[in-house]
Amino acid sequence: MNNAFILAANSVTSADAAHARLGTRFGRMDLASQLSLLAVEPFAPHFETVARDRIGIVLAARAGSLPTDVAYWNARNEPGGLSPTLFTYTLPSAAIGEIAIRHRLTGPNLCFVGGSDDVLTEAGELLRAGEADACLAIFTHVISPALTEKISLPEAARSWAVFIGRNGPGLAVLGENRRDMESFCANLRPQNLTK
Amino acid sequence: MAIATTELKTKIIESLNLQDITPDQIEDEAPLFGAGLGLDSIDALELVVMLEKNYGIVIKDIEEGRPAFRSVRTLADFIDARRSSS
Repeated sequence: MNNAFILAANSVTSADAAHARLGTRFGRMDLASQLSLLAVEPFAPHFETVARDRIGIVLAARAGSLPTDVAYWNARNEPGGLSPTLFTYTLPSAAIGEIAIRHRLTGPNLCFVGGSDDVLTEAGELLRAGEADACLAIFTHVISPALTEKISLPEAARSWAVFIGRNGPGLAVLGENRRDMESFCANLRPQNLTK
Repeated sequence: MAIATTELKTKIIESLNLQDITPDQIEDEAPLFGAGLGLDSIDALELVVMLEKNYGIVIKDIEEGRPAFRSVRTLADFIDARRSSS
């Protein structure tokens, strides 16, 4: 495939979400949506350079919406009924909706339960197919603290996002070497790397 | 006794987890949806649940509740009316 370029990259953890303020609606979101939104937030200036209906969003949620699913199950007997908001976030794709609303992005989007390599592949395919001129590739990994302890995972919540365009120069080339790109994204530090 | 709009605003903020906004920043007559407080359809459903949990008011038809959700003032009047008729 033709090379695409990572124009910006960012990584966040649950600690970032705890102190973030992104409008009145931010507090109602589940952690996966909050992290996805925060990871993408520094890219806003880039969205001005591409038609908003030509910016795609691809999201891989490694654990789906597991913490919200558990919360929903635990709340099933609440008097007065379950929270409609909680139900909304049992859909992993809710994060894409929040990003699209905030940044008025109307391009194609895709959400699936998968890993970091998958999201880069799918984002690259979207560009190669000509369905978008730029693409957000977002990876979220959110597991509730109780589960994290049980299965000895190193971190409970993390998200990274990269903004991929057809034109460089960017932070890195998204080419055929997926292993290099996975390494690049895996090593993103929790700070803004936007150029 | 008529419901105080400040109390209702507090309930709205709590039930919708609204950040960085206090009851005194919400005007009684300002629209709750769209241009005013900027709530959406999910928030509307959450408000329906809030009314049932806090005031024992059940809205079975969303069309019935639509006029009530125009503003804090109309919602307070709606609660008062339902309470006095029960």
